[in-house]
Amino acid sequence: MANSADIFPRERKTRLPGGYMGRILRVDLTTGSMRDENLPEEPLLRKFIGGQALASYILLRELPLDAKPYGRENKVVMMTGPITGTGFTPGGTKVTAVYLSPLTNHTLGRGAASGFWAVTLKAAGYDGVIIEGAASNPTYLFINEGKPELRDAGRVWGKGALETEDLLRAEVGLKDARVMCIGPAGENLVHAAMLCNDYNHNAAHSGGAVFGSKKLKAIVVHGTARPSLHDRERLIEAGLRWRNTLVVRHEAEKRTAGHAVDLGGAPNFNFRSTVIEESHIEGFDKNRVTLRPCFQCQRLCPWDVELKAGKHSGTLGHFNAGSEWLDTFYNLGVRGNDALYLAQRINDLGIECSHFSCGVGVAFEAWEKGLLNAEKTGGLKFEWGNVEVIDRLLDMAARREGYWGNLFAEGPVEVAEAIGGDAPKWIVHTKKGTPALHDWRPHFGQMIREIVASGGMKPQGGGSVNPPPDLKYREKWGPLDRDNPAGWPWSNALSEQYRQFCGLIGGCWFAQMHMKPDGIKSIVDSFNATTGWNFDIDQALEAGHRSAMLQSIFGTQRGWIAEHDWKEVGPRFLEPLPDGKHKGFTIAKWLPDMVYEYHRLMGRHEKTGRPFMDTLKKLGLEEFEEWAQLD
Amino acid sequence: MGQKYGALIPTGRLLDGRPRTILFDAAKCIGCRQCVQACKDWNDHPRTTLYELSSTNWITMEPPVLEGLSPIWARNSCMHCEFPMCAAVCPVEAITKYEEGPVVINQDTCIGCEYCIYACPWGVIAKNDITHKASKCTMCSDRVSENKSPFCVQACPVQALDFGFQDEISAKAKQRAEETGGYVYGEKEAGGSQLLYVLKEKEESYGVPAVGPQKYPRHRIPLVLMLKDLFTLRCGLAGKARALYLALIHPKRLIYRYWPWRKEG
Repeated sequence: MANSADIFPRERKTRLPGGYMGRILRVDLTTGSMRDENLPEEPLLRKFIGGQALASYILLRELPLDAKPYGRENKVVMMTGPITGTGFTPGGTKVTAVYLSPLTNHTLGRGAASGFWAVTLKAAGYDGVIIEGAASNPTYLFINEGKPELRDAGRVWGKGALETEDLLRAEVGLKDARVMCIGPAGENLVHAAMLCNDYNHNAAHSGGAVFGSKKLKAIVVHGTARPSLHDRERLIEAGLRWRNTLVVRHEAEKRTAGHAVDLGGAPNFNFRSTVIEESHIEGFDKNRVTLRPCFQCQRLCPWDVELKAGKHSGTLGHFNAGSEWLDTFYNLGVRGNDALYLAQRINDLGIECSHFSCGVGVAFEAWEKGLLNAEKTGGLKFEWGNVEVIDRLLDMAARREGYWGNLFAEGPVEVAEAIGGDAPKWIVHTKKGTPALHDWRPHFGQMIREIVASGGMKPQGGGSVNPPPDLKYREKWGPLDRDNPAGWPWSNALSEQYRQFCGLIGGCWFAQMHMKPDGIKSIVDSFNATTGWNFDIDQALEAGHRSAMLQSIFGTQRGWIAEHDWKEVGPRFLEPLPDGKHKGFTIAKWLPDMVYEYHRLMGRHEKTGRPFMDTLKKLGLEEFEEWAQLD
Repeated sequence: MGQKYGALIPTGRLLDGRPRTILFDAAKCIGCRQCVQACKDWNDHPRTTLYELSSTNWITMEPPVLEGLSPIWARNSCMHCEFPMCAAVCPVEAITKYEEGPVVINQDTCIGCEYCIYACPWGVIAKNDITHKASKCTMCSDRVSENKSPFCVQACPVQALDFGFQDEISAKAKQRAEETGGYVYGEKEAGGSQLLYVLKEKEESYGVPAVGPQKYPRHRIPLVLMLKDLFTLRCGLAGKARALYLALIHPKRLIYRYWPWRKEG
């Protein structure tokens, strides 16, 4: 263990704040040894709180600079936060996993999941898990009532996520055990493999591949513990206020083309059209849809579907909010219930959907334009909307079968390079990762978010036209103009900070309705009532800022510079929109200025991305001064 | 109140004496179990073990499968009977029927004899392994006494649970049954309960027992259990003394315990 003995006290001398279980489990898969670490003392704990911030800090302190993503030395640090599993707030469901990303090889990989797993990890007695080393045989970790053990996962190796979940639940003999696992994609090191949990939930951005490299198939948790609460009455009151800010989802929305409708267009045929037609939702009206919310959250994002029309009628699908898996297959020309069928397949195999769609999209476009033919594709017809071929390609990618399976597992950049010709111009990617699959291109806030991502691969933020009502005491701007870049970098930076805060306290940013009055304040109050700390909104934003800064410091240490943000972007992502209301719009003409401005506003050098010393001092991160921009 | 129950069971008042009822609408329920967890949250019960009723899990949602994996769901918890057999058989009068609806087991008085567990027509009372006392849903009598709804009701994200005055909820139940082509369960069962269901399919499909309309229905307390209590030190000397004393001052209350095969009481 490198250089982090001071983080975890042998015995805690300060009072454990409410909301925490007090322990992190450290598992060395190489030796099979396990031990409990005490949570850090204050002021360290108060500074990083939990979630991404605490997890990143641990990783920064422990991960050698020359670690390789699939090497034994890479670690996965998974952390919940104090409001995870209190039960009295919506959105208290989050666990965030961080590691060195195999997609980029030099930035922070981060996957976050909701559902029930994080809550049950705490019920099993732990705030987080640190996974080190690599097992020699397929293994799963079972934590029951504070007792961890490593078990043989040979029986479930090769199985899809859903079946793995069911089999492991049966194997441990506990009906309400919760499972986070990888599908075949993780086992076969598909770079963008996901962690899958609770049927409907996926933590994307490569965590599954790192699990696979460690031969760790799953973590099964079960327990009855609950965190102590500092002020239960106040928490109930704040939690109810939070609940009142939610924009509740409805069944009817699950019969639409999803988030594409809100964004003003769906990606079609590898981002070459944004038109949404009736055929996109064909059969949706006949399906049986059931809302399946996360633990104690009334926003009702996740849902189940039983297809009642089309060739795959009878298929059960389990989805969360977002609907990027729908746009994933729209982008490949698939329509209606076939898209839902394939979406269920890709989630079960555990491939991050955009990674697949952006790679296959390039290959299909190459077929259309004559760069590929049946001879080169092994007889498979790379035609838009060919469900059988896409179904086959999913299996090939998840198992790295054959030439194309391997390429799609690698990623869209590798696919385009292998095809050659003009194909590299057709890629959508950012720093070799892929954006959550929607057509973000008409929107400044979301595009700057996808491009910068604080030096990581998974962005947060997105901004808003006006400042959130709860921040009006300090934010005197707005409304921003959707056709004018002025103000958007700050709007994104600000939203990154409050969304980060929501995550690192163990909350879900989907349940953070920042544009409603009390949408941020009720969350900060819930956090204070749980822990007994007394954060104001400025301190909450600062905690979010600190988390984003740790993300970029991790990249800085391994070779990321801010210039990568706008130089390493797939050309298609920056092309003018082909059609629709915003036809011709592109953020490209305002690059790199918007990227520069964003990094300056976050307290980093605009070109190197290194934090200024003043920023580190303000955030209490002086220990990372060797990575600061000194001139 | 007194007239309705005679002197057959202990009764009490929490607030204003107006009876209240919980409504469970199966057509709206999505089986998310937020009510189950909310019950645990309010009562500070251990987190998991969601699939079986126990002394620390007062509500289950049937069938016992993962959320989302069943097309229909039913609630299983104390029905808060108007004529609670559990209260009628309790030898130490630890169970009180409150005018506002709740049937509540007083943990200080309970001697753990298990009669109520066998007497309940719905089988929703469990014994705590540590305290050895009987335990079940209280209809959040602590909240009802402050004129608040039970915590499970306020937690429901899809308004499948409702709470209000008995007459209003009864009317709502009938209206919902009409709208959904279903029927109301709980209004006649065991003489009526203060938890009404609107169901569409037959009771069995929901895992809900068919219970006859008889008030204080015949119990299934094993004879051996009764004899054990009479002839051994089970339940302690204090428990026996209290049971004996109560039998002497309320002899009528013995009727349901020792004459289970009687006709309508």
